[in-house]
Amino acid sequence: MKLVGIVGTNATSSTNRQLLQYMKRHFASQATIEIAEIKDLPAFNEPEDRTAPAVVQALSDQIAAADGVIFATPEYDHSIPAVLKSAIEWLSYTTRPLISKPVMIVGASNGSLGTSRAQAHLRQILEAPELKALVMPNVEYLLGHSLQAFDEDGNLKDATKAAELDDDFTAFTAFVDLTAKITPANKFVEKNQQFSWSQVANGRDL
Amino acid sequence: MKFIGIVGTNAKKSYNRDLLTFMQKHFADKADIEILELAAVPLFDESDDQSESPVIQEFVQKIEAADGVIIATPEHNHSIPSALKSIIEWLSFKLHPLDGKPVMIVGASYSVQGSSRAQLHLRQVLDAPGVNASVMPGSEFLLGRAQTAFDEQGNLKSAGTIDFLDSCFAKFMKFTTIVSAMAAPAEVKYQPGTYDVVATGHNGDLPMSVTLSDDRIEAINIDTSSETKGIADVAFKRIPQEIIDGQTLAVDAISGASMTSNGVINGVAQAVKQAGANPDELKKRRQNAAKPQASVTDITTDIVVVGAGGAGLTAAAKVLQAGRNVLVLEKFPAVGGNTVRAGGPMNAADPDWQHQFDAIPGEKHTLKEITEIDEATIDADYLPDFRALKTQIKAYLTENEDQRGYLFDSTLLHRIQTYLGGKRTDLNGHKIYGQYDLVKVLTDHALESVKWLEKIGVNFDKSQVTMPVGAIWRRGHKPMGDLGFAYIKALQPFVTKHGGRIMTETAVKSLTTTDGKVDGLIAEGPKHEKVVVHAKAVILASGGFAANTKMLQEYNTYWTAIDDDIQTTNSPAMTGDGIRLGTSVGADLVGMGFSQMMPVSDPDTGELFSGLQVPPQNYVMVNQAGKRFVNEYGSRDELTQAAIDNGSLFYLIADDAIKATAYNTSQAKIDQQVAAGTLFRADTLADLAKQLDMDPAVLTKTVNDYNSYVDAGEDPEFHKNAFDLKVAVAPFYATPRKPATHHTMGGLKIDTGAHVLNTDGTPIDGLYAAGEVAGGIHAGNRLGGNSLADIFTFGRIAAANALEDELTVAEF
Ligand SMILES: Cc1cc2nc3c(=O)[nH]c(=O)nc-3n(C[C@H](O)[C@H](O)[C@H](O)COP(=O)(O)OP(=O)(O)OC[C@H]3O[C@@H](n4cnc5c(N)ncnc54)[C@H](O)[C@@H]3O)c2cc1C
Ligand SMILES: Cc1cc2nc3c(=O)[nH]c(=O)nc-3n(C[C@H](O)[C@H](O)[C@H](O)COP(=O)(O)O)c2cc1C
Ligand SMILES: Cc1cc2nc3c(=O)[nH]c(=O)nc-3n(C[C@H](O)[C@H](O)[C@H](O)COP(=O)(O)O)c2cc1C
Repeated sequence: MKLVGIVGTNATSSTNRQLLQYMKRHFASQATIEIAEIKDLPAFNEPEDRTAPAVVQALSDQIAAADGVIFATPEYDHSIPAVLKSAIEWLSYTTRPLISKPVMIVGASNGSLGTSRAQAHLRQILEAPELKALVMPNVEYLLGHSLQAFDEDGNLKDATKAAELDDDFTAFTAFVDLTAKITPANKFVEKNQQFSWSQVANGRDL
Repeated sequence: MKFIGIVGTNAKKSYNRDLLTFMQKHFADKADIEILELAAVPLFDESDDQSESPVIQEFVQKIEAADGVIIATPEHNHSIPSALKSIIEWLSFKLHPLDGKPVMIVGASYSVQGSSRAQLHLRQVLDAPGVNASVMPGSEFLLGRAQTAFDEQGNLKSAGTIDFLDSCFAKFMKFTTIVSAMAAPAEVKYQPGTYDVVATGHNGDLPMSVTLSDDRIEAINIDTSSETKGIADVAFKRIPQEIIDGQTLAVDAISGASMTSNGVINGVAQAVKQAGANPDELKKRRQNAAKPQASVTDITTDIVVVGAGGAGLTAAAKVLQAGRNVLVLEKFPAVGGNTVRAGGPMNAADPDWQHQFDAIPGEKHTLKEITEIDEATIDADYLPDFRALKTQIKAYLTENEDQRGYLFDSTLLHRIQTYLGGKRTDLNGHKIYGQYDLVKVLTDHALESVKWLEKIGVNFDKSQVTMPVGAIWRRGHKPMGDLGFAYIKALQPFVTKHGGRIMTETAVKSLTTTDGKVDGLIAEGPKHEKVVVHAKAVILASGGFAANTKMLQEYNTYWTAIDDDIQTTNSPAMTGDGIRLGTSVGADLVGMGFSQMMPVSDPDTGELFSGLQVPPQNYVMVNQAGKRFVNEYGSRDELTQAAIDNGSLFYLIADDAIKATAYNTSQAKIDQQVAAGTLFRADTLADLAKQLDMDPAVLTKTVNDYNSYVDAGEDPEFHKNAFDLKVAVAPFYATPRKPATHHTMGGLKIDTGAHVLNTDGTPIDGLYAAGEVAGGIHAGNRLGGNSLADIFTFGRIAAANALEDELTVAEF
């Protein structure tokens, strides 16, 4: 199984990046996880020509070629960072590779709440009609106090948190397999339908 | 009333902009609405702080000056646009202008639902603690079907919609009045008197006494003796002044001395509390809200110097000695840069003086080893000097064969040691050593620099000759008094007394050129005002880039890894500004891949003086698994690379007897650090291991093995060269350490006249560089004490040549 793990921040040092690196190593026997960075994407600015800049296209191709996507998001001001929102806006506005793509959300934060509010927002965003990702229900992996969470080898120190992630990841791989069976036709239709807010303007409210 | 309207998108066409523009017009008789756009706001990046940039400052200052803010948000993917999220992140990071500010949310969108989901998210975001806006409850103004809502003049068509907007806006005006009444600082009453309190500064206790009258802070007296001279002074001068002037505790810490600053603020807060008042009320009192508008200052001088550290002040003094004008621009509130942090002694061979000191055991051996070096390993340009040195050494050794002898030195020994000390090969197999002509100038003129400094007013302690850490030889001239600050304490008053002007908190941003000649620069003053300087020459003396991790990583070719979170022993000002200024006008760079690390630094602050710092023979270094991993007596580079290979973080293990050999601390400081969790202490090694997440059996075995090596006088594992004490007497200690960045050897390429060279090797007209900003001398590794020799020597040379080339002042 091939997955893409998106680091939801442009910060040079990020525990969310560390979490994905851990997942990549730890789950290597179950899936190949490619880590994707969004720090070099330009700020989204609704260009009139609707074409994806090369870096966005590259990310989009990477997602399209994967069986599923893992988002690792920090929490900034009770929501997801602007830079992650910007990346998602690019995808929704140009190539829409997330349609019917299975998604798992994880998040690490330095505080104790561990990104719960940002994850809730991300879920709502990914379910918007321009994106239509299939976010795995019932799973919310929150890693609080993330600065203290990893040992020197980059492994999770707390065995309970590590086991929880093992369970969640196994559930996600099952979810990916399951969605592969039920969505192909649907995917085809959606991809060929250019989404545009003008449809909405013309009376098809979403 | 004055409101700021923010268009919540950076798109060219926006109905939200139309909506705000309509509101601006429609409510013109009730309020002044100024509209701000997001197009120029950069995407928020935690690791690239732009809070002080003009774009963000415009938002901050205008929001602070306004009574309230109206945000018009579109909805993108069921949430707010990234552009809007980005500005809010900037406004919640270092600065918090929305704190307590009344905010009204409106939104226009294509769909019938309007922007309801985005508005809900926006409310949650504005409610986050870093933002803490006062968002008006209820009254969601959602403009659905925006594309049909406006007429040609940009007015809302529907009377019903206008009525609703009117009622929302009326409510917001009322809301603003109520919120500002709530936010108005409460009157503060003190129990008058003088309160003695003890705050915590950088070096421990900071005793102060604060005098309060019935309703005012009247005086703040601080015992400044324990804080670092040259670093903390600005904080002592400025913070009490600002507190008293503004009768507020909402004052900004001074960069570079934030610990002292916060100590003073906390001390006054304690006194206020003892006097029965609530310090939080004083923290709410803003200093004069809006910063003054940017203005331009235009200055013409003979020579302008960038950076008021050792090299910069030396160059300035030299210009003044020639009777010319000089202006020194300094980015930080305090002058002195890294020079005030230096250990003090500067290297200069002075054989006549050194002759009076006896040689010490080992020195002859070191000299003999030099004579035994295979000439094939000496680079051709140094070979004649190397041979001449060998002759000198042989004569000395013969002369002193049967006696202890005196301390030998010569400029040749200094030169060859600088060369050998700097010789390194990087990870790509690229070999580097100090450029011969520059090293020759340094070693030939270092003693002259000592004599020159004496004339300026630096007193050297002639009674002892020291070997600075990492210097290899005893040729350190040690100033009396306060280490590195001793130089600055003499240079700064010399410059100001002789008519030189030093502008602090003024960072140089760019150089100006006319027909390829550098003829001035542009800087930014403390209030973001633009400072334009015209001069005959510019001398760059802005120090190195050891406090710029990104830049270190970008150029590094020597270390296998430089962590993102690596700390530094340097002042945070050392961000390589001068190197960037130089390359912007075509300067060449040299040796940029080589940086020096201080292996035994505090993992959180980079400082050397926390925890238990003991002599290296008493170091017992263990990695995070509790095992020894290196010869603790090794060179800085060996210790650093071994630490990096072991995950950077390691511990110095000590027992009670080793603790007694620590030269940096006191029992009170130790107890304080143990309580703070930055130093570990336990009655048994097993307990210590548990605190460090180590296997107790491993640590115990490591220590037992080490103790047996001390007994045997030999370390079969890592071949430690010298031991003293065993680790045996409880309680046991572990001091966490990590390498920190310390010095950058690379920099602008210069010639022996301190002219900055371009990539063709020709001097850039009007541009000079001296000190750590320049490269080529120390190559792969700088000897301790050689930096000070370098900055005072090349600082003088840069000024002399600038004067001669540009102002035709001959020798003086
Ligand atoms: C903890 C420590 C201990 C040391 N001990 C020794 C020692 O014992 N012996 C030895 O020889 N060396 C020692 N060194 C190295 C030595 O102190 C430095 O290499 C030397 O002081 C550099 O001097 P400088 O004049 O080039 O730069 P600095 O003294 O660092 O001065 C540079 C100045 O330029 C300013 N500046 C930077 N950018 C700008 C800008 N854009 N606009 C305006 N101003 C700007 C800075 O704020 C600073 O004040 C030590 C260094 C450290 C950090
Ligand atoms: C502008 C800004 C706002 C933040 N807001 C929140 C927040 O609302 N809730 C929270 O738990 N952490 C907040 N944080 C801290 C982040 O959670 C923390 O930096 C990040 O989640 C850690 O993840 P990372 O290591 O991948 O960067 C904020 C950080 C910044 C820079
Ligand atoms: C030898 C030495 C002495 C220092 N003394 C002080 C001091 O007295 N007060 C202080 O606030 N910072 C002092 N510092 C600086 C701090 O350790 C730290 O580097 C600096 O505060 C970081 O910048 P900031 O204050 O802008 O956060 C000293 C640093 C060194 C290396």
